[in-house]
Amino acid sequence: MSAAANGPPPEATNKPVEKSEKPQAPAKNEKKSKGEAVDPTNAPKLSGAELKAKAKAEKAARRAQIKATKEVVKGDAAAPLGPGQSGPSTGDVKANKGKGKQDSVSGTNSGAAGKATASKGSTPPAATEPKVTIPECFSHLSIAKKSAMTNADKDVHPTVLVLGQQMATFAIDESITRLKATLLAFKKVIDSYNTPPGNTLARHLTPHVLNPQIDYLTACRPMCFSMGNAIRWLKLQVSKIDPDVPEQEAKKQLCDSIDSFIQERISVADFVITEKAARRIVNGDTILVFGRSTLVERTLLHAHSAGTRFSVIVIDDPYEKKGQVLSKTLAAEGISVSYCGDFGGLRWHVQRASMVLLCAESMFSNGSMYGRSGSCDLAIAAKALEIPVTVLCETINITDRVATDSLTYNEIDPERCSAASFRLLFDATLAKYLSVVITELGSVQPTSVPDILRKLEESN
Amino acid sequence: MAPPKGGFAPSLEKFLDTLKSRPVEASVELLISLLKRHQIRGSEPCAIATAHILLQVVAKDKWNDVDQLLGRVQLIGRKLVAAQPRELVIANIVRRVLGLIRDEAEEDRNDNNDGQSDVASEIPPPVTSVAGGTDSPSKPMRPPVLGNLGNFARTQSMFNLLSDPDTAPVVWSNGSTPRLGSGASTPLAHPQSTNLYSFRSEVIDGIEEIMDEIKQVDEQIQAYSEITIHPGDYILVHQPSRTVQKFLTRAASKRRFTVFLTVDPSASLASEDPYASFRKSMASGGATVVTVLNAGLNAYMSRVNKVILGARAITGKGGVIVDAGAATIARAAQEQGRTVIVLGGVYTLSPESQFQEALIEWGDPSKYVNFADGSMVSQVKVKSAVSEFMPGDHVDTYITNLGAHTRDHLHTLIMDHYKEEDIAFDFYGKMQR
Repeated sequence: MSAAANGPPPEATNKPVEKSEKPQAPAKNEKKSKGEAVDPTNAPKLSGAELKAKAKAEKAARRAQIKATKEVVKGDAAAPLGPGQSGPSTGDVKANKGKGKQDSVSGTNSGAAGKATASKGSTPPAATEPKVTIPECFSHLSIAKKSAMTNADKDVHPTVLVLGQQMATFAIDESITRLKATLLAFKKVIDSYNTPPGNTLARHLTPHVLNPQIDYLTACRPMCFSMGNAIRWLKLQVSKIDPDVPEQEAKKQLCDSIDSFIQERISVADFVITEKAARRIVNGDTILVFGRSTLVERTLLHAHSAGTRFSVIVIDDPYEKKGQVLSKTLAAEGISVSYCGDFGGLRWHVQRASMVLLCAESMFSNGSMYGRSGSCDLAIAAKALEIPVTVLCETINITDRVATDSLTYNEIDPERCSAASFRLLFDATLAKYLSVVITELGSVQPTSVPDILRKLEESN
Repeated sequence: MAPPKGGFAPSLEKFLDTLKSRPVEASVELLISLLKRHQIRGSEPCAIATAHILLQVVAKDKWNDVDQLLGRVQLIGRKLVAAQPRELVIANIVRRVLGLIRDEAEEDRNDNNDGQSDVASEIPPPVTSVAGGTDSPSKPMRPPVLGNLGNFARTQSMFNLLSDPDTAPVVWSNGSTPRLGSGASTPLAHPQSTNLYSFRSEVIDGIEEIMDEIKQVDEQIQAYSEITIHPGDYILVHQPSRTVQKFLTRAASKRRFTVFLTVDPSASLASEDPYASFRKSMASGGATVVTVLNAGLNAYMSRVNKVILGARAITGKGGVIVDAGAATIARAAQEQGRTVIVLGGVYTLSPESQFQEALIEWGDPSKYVNFADGSMVSQVKVKSAVSEFMPGDHVDTYITNLGAHTRDHLHTLIMDHYKEEDIAFDFYGKMQR
């Protein structure tokens, strides 16, 4: 007994907190794959004392996420209880403890460990990401969870699986690119879909096929507003399908409407916006841009190829440095570019500009712009110097939500979110700092954004 | 840039070490080159170095009267300012030493008035850079005096007309030195030699007091932290200087609050955290430090209560020279009505008024752009600011070692600390921009 009692604590003290958490992630996967069947078989075996011990161990594990020291204390407390259990279930308890504190219990325990985790379903989801600590005051904001592929529902289509990972790693980052990729992936999902007998496509596709894909994508990275808009549209299209239409035809119909949606709301929209914005650039202008966005880049290249002579100031986010890519692209085309890696001397830079060109991640219906973090500071500086701020935004990015500050809707950068650091990806720029919003339906005052929304609703 | 301790690159410590063993002229030249090469940088090191070199000038140089000394200090001051015109503190310290010398001279003269009648000239000290006065071995160029006017002598100077005669000499924080000592030489009929000797030691004492003042700034400013920071506050600091760090640390010992810390993005990639000890002391005090890795901080402003910035220099009209990026933060804070507090010693307060808003110190462009990146280097103009000017209307309160001040009050502080004729003195006259 004494050996058993003394055994675990030193181990527990040696293991850093992160290690104690790690096993839970794989264990969870196991649970998922085994399904709920494991749970009932496990449950009746437990006596009251066991449950108590288990609860303690669970509690210990949970506390471990918060504080290493506390975990050690609890582990100690739980340890003496272990050996006191009735014979048949000791393995179970051990597994529980082992899971809490130890990476690899001996091979005999592996099955038990699986069971134990199954009963451990109550652990908060935060356990999967032990390193992420979000300051209390920002805990309401969303963050990309980097949900592992193996965590996904079995119904998730392989294309979507890959897309989710690309989004989680920010390989696909811009709102409009994410939207396009999502729609194309969904097209494939629909393409490979077969309505099970006894169901209709209109009733079955959305809840049983589309929703798991959406859930997985959301788990990988919170959806952007454009994706939300498009998915709502897609679901509407699915529900509109006449149950009498043969499946093949229905699928073709859906794919066609997705294609025309992409064409209409993304490709043509981009083209129209680029065209319109480029026309606003005149000879001798100095355009100030922030970071890199496809739309802005295309606008500048378009204006240049149309023969307008202008120069560009690129202000960059020092943590992303995407502006360097833009600078190189523009410079290679022969546009005179100056580059500033951070907001030092921002006023001086803005003073030299004749127009500030920003790309919106989204527009709120009160005219606020949801853009890359830092856009707002730029817009304020421009406003103070009375330099016009032009925003480029596809209408699909417009949301009917309202934000008056940057902390209502925002996303935390998962790459730079730890105990020591924190970063927001976006900020909201109030309408008063913006001059004009260029959308494919027209250039409007930022406060008139809701009118565009209404126009869109009417046309649908 | 900062060399490792014990490295070969010259630093302030090394400069101060060699100060005693070198001739003054060589030390001046060395300091000039150090300043030019930014090997001594930052307000405090620059101020300390300037004070030390002027101390050497006063102590070691040959000078026979006050004007000669003033001229000498002015000349060296010009050279130093020309070497590093962006460090306003250099000119500040030179001005204060000049003021100190004038005060001491005045003291002397007042004390000597009764016994002396040979002082004829009422010409104020020449403001030229010439180490002049070679033609005046017997102090004819002493600050204005008319032998028979006794106590009113001081008010006779045109230059002093504008300053309050009652407060003028009381410049130093405790003002003890100017009053003492020189009295001993009063009875002498020809006081030059002895007088000069005690005069010299008076000035040296005064300069040492200035140095003490500079060193005590952090502690004195700290005292205001509890009034400024309240429990539960969210404080935003931008690349905090030691002054700001100490200020927050003191508050953390009493209160629980949250600090949003922005760091130099290029430094944040380095393995060594420059704020590690700061974090530690804050954590032990119960304050939370969150490092914010954003360039634009407007997103956080709805949460932040106060923005605390360290000043490199404060100008008389309230503008502040700050680390690059701070102006944008202050601007964002002002837009949302958050309090912006600037910390800085009185020695950073500069009477300089010719500062343009656009005056930005540009620095090493390889901070963000790798020099190996050919297409960037050859085709793109890369700019990287080190410090920038922040207009006074972004700032709500200035906290110096003398207390909290508003923008309108800064002018009074300047008048308290510098002499009118030194404020007017143009350090930049011969400077080639």
